[in-house]
Amino acid sequence: MPFIDEILKYDSLSIVGLEKNVGKTECLNYILSRLPLEKRRVAVTSIGIDGENKDQVTATKKPEIYLREGVYFSTAEAHYRSRRLVSELVEITNERSSLGRIVTGKVIVGGKALISGPSSGPSLKRWVKSARDLGVELTIIDGAISRLSSASPAISKAMVLSTGAAYSSNINTLVQKTRFVVEMINLPEADKGVVEAFDPVESGVWGLDDEGEIVDFGLTSSLSLSAVDKDITAGMRYIFVSGALTDRFLNLVANSGNIKSVVLVVRDFTKIFVNEMLYRNFVSRGGRIVVLQKSRLVAVCVNPTAPNGYVLDSGILCEKLQEAIKLPVYDIVKNRYDF
Amino acid sequence: MTFKSVLDIDCGIRFMYEDLELNSSCARKMLLESEMMTSKREIDVYYGKLNELYTKDFKAISLKLMCLKDIHTTIKRLGAGVVLDDIELFEIKYLAMISQDVRKLLLEQRITAVNLPDLKKVVEILDPDSLNIPSFYVYDSYSEQLAYIRKEMRNISGYGKEIGEQEREQLLELQRLNDEQEFQIRENLVGKLLEYAAKLEHVLKSLSLLDIMIAKCVQMKRLGLCFPSVAEGVETFYCKMFNPMVKKALEEAGKEFCPVDIAFQNVPVTIIGANMGGKTVVLKTLAVNQLLAQFGFGVAAECCCVNIVDKIMFCIGDDQNMQKGLSSFAAEMLAIDSVVKSIRKGENILALIDEPARTTNPVEGTALVEGLLEVLPSNAGGLVLTTHYNIKNDKVKRYRVKGLVDGVMDYMLVEAESGDVPHEAVAIAEKLGIDREWIELTRKHLNN
Repeated sequence: MPFIDEILKYDSLSIVGLEKNVGKTECLNYILSRLPLEKRRVAVTSIGIDGENKDQVTATKKPEIYLREGVYFSTAEAHYRSRRLVSELVEITNERSSLGRIVTGKVIVGGKALISGPSSGPSLKRWVKSARDLGVELTIIDGAISRLSSASPAISKAMVLSTGAAYSSNINTLVQKTRFVVEMINLPEADKGVVEAFDPVESGVWGLDDEGEIVDFGLTSSLSLSAVDKDITAGMRYIFVSGALTDRFLNLVANSGNIKSVVLVVRDFTKIFVNEMLYRNFVSRGGRIVVLQKSRLVAVCVNPTAPNGYVLDSGILCEKLQEAIKLPVYDIVKNRYDF
Repeated sequence: MTFKSVLDIDCGIRFMYEDLELNSSCARKMLLESEMMTSKREIDVYYGKLNELYTKDFKAISLKLMCLKDIHTTIKRLGAGVVLDDIELFEIKYLAMISQDVRKLLLEQRITAVNLPDLKKVVEILDPDSLNIPSFYVYDSYSEQLAYIRKEMRNISGYGKEIGEQEREQLLELQRLNDEQEFQIRENLVGKLLEYAAKLEHVLKSLSLLDIMIAKCVQMKRLGLCFPSVAEGVETFYCKMFNPMVKKALEEAGKEFCPVDIAFQNVPVTIIGANMGGKTVVLKTLAVNQLLAQFGFGVAAECCCVNIVDKIMFCIGDDQNMQKGLSSFAAEMLAIDSVVKSIRKGENILALIDEPARTTNPVEGTALVEGLLEVLPSNAGGLVLTTHYNIKNDKVKRYRVKGLVDGVMDYMLVEAESGDVPHEAVAIAEKLGIDREWIELTRKHLNN
């Protein structure tokens, strides 16, 4: 049973698909069916609707979420009412979705259910906390690439990435695109001193100069660059962008002449919104990006079948991807990885 | 007048509302919908309860109330005999459990401010295994048949293993039977719970009230508010009255609020004094305190007696309304006119008017105020107005802000014999640092 033991080393996990129909739900079912629930109290939720019979966008058949006896799950009231399992209602949370309040149940007799929990970063944080209050030792969030905040290490310490033919039907492109995401997730953590200096910063763009003094550039975000009237990289060892890191900001650092001496710092990989080409160029010229908090990428799962019917060779895909990202890659549907 | 409707009166009542640390949304709703109390008996009973709570330790109760949810729709549905679902039954059980816990705490401390009926039976109905935990499902112990169905389901589905078509069919059938059984049991439960619907409704209201009262006690202690004595047809007086909102703003700026003493009954009161002497703040404070006293809050003074009124009319004179095509003067005249009409009709109102007729020429302005005081020689609820005009009428009670003493503003109110207004406007303008030349030329005009 690959990577289950690895997951058990953490108290929070998110599963992120790089595209719709890349087998994220299969992946979630795989994990949920194999976790030792008798030893570990587990709670699961999903941002937005998940577990529906048919994909709401592409109308392809989707596997349902199977919940085993003993697992805790949080979903909207309307979906709780339509569950096909026996469960004990343990909490009505203060979170709301378009389908009503989010409620938490504990499965008494296993079965299937639709899961659609909280979706914003802060509400997910609150969900994790309320699950802890119920004695839950491992929280699992079924996330989405469009809402990467669910995978932020501030919410989930470990993550599993799902990719597949739906993301790109060309193996090389798929490998290249996935590799870039993995590279961002695996960006190195900043030194302890740098983390301590920047961690309390909540907004704006800040620097740490040669003397170790922290400097506020007075920018509300990296988007308000037009307000800069000087070279902010001069004399700096680190520049911290608390919000989104954009192409424009990366270019500013790349073209400042200090690219080799200054290190860019972001909170975590979910804050990076830069083009791969620009990033490669930045790195080849000696640029460096580090993060304050790093997610642990536990595994990458692939689904070689695209919703349009196109099927890639699972063996070749796994092999190529594994080589590129230097991490184990699994095709969960093909290799059942039995109990 | 509901509490919600007075929140927009610009006197600092919204500040008091937002400062209140309510635990539950149903308490907030109850407070907003509450009507202003207008009978001495009602107000006395309310403050009696508040006073009882004030001396008690209510931390543990407060913690319980944090879990209170507004489930009045569910209770209504129960009362109508609707078969409730799991979520609704959970809500009922949860409320009953909180109520039982709070009831125990109230009994321990001998608090009688609210009366909670015993809901032990409700908890028992929804907790057949006596687990005493706040969760709910249609428990196996409700029916042997249900327990059997679920056992069969478990046998087939195991731990989510792959199952064949035939087993899938079996499982679907079992799920259907399970749902049918659950419905029957829920129907049965509702039948048993029906008689408690009124009690549950009462409990929800009582717990909301308790939440409001505890929040008021906490606020009283934090802001240094007092219990008012209230009466009908008496003199209203405040010793060391203050405005909590203004006080907080001043404290944040490192300054102190100067409390004032004031008393009035049916004879009109005029307050004169220098600009920036706090006359408007006095009116706003009178308004907020009257509201606080009649909505059962602590009152912002060291001690006070408040005459009960049916309505507060507060004319602050900045109602310029371009949409209605009214100038500030016209809007003000109409607002004051409605005060006159109300008093004429014999309504029991407290009328507070800030600088009437200030936006017109001083000759006619003075005459308008003199006229107003003559047309309203007496008002049982009280009439207090501020003015910069020299009012000759000697049948009014006059207060004067002490004003500049050695260049420092003294906001204290003193009773004044004559209506002669102080001439400190230029000195205050100078203190504000306005253009020197302007000041000098002004002085030249005054000397001429």
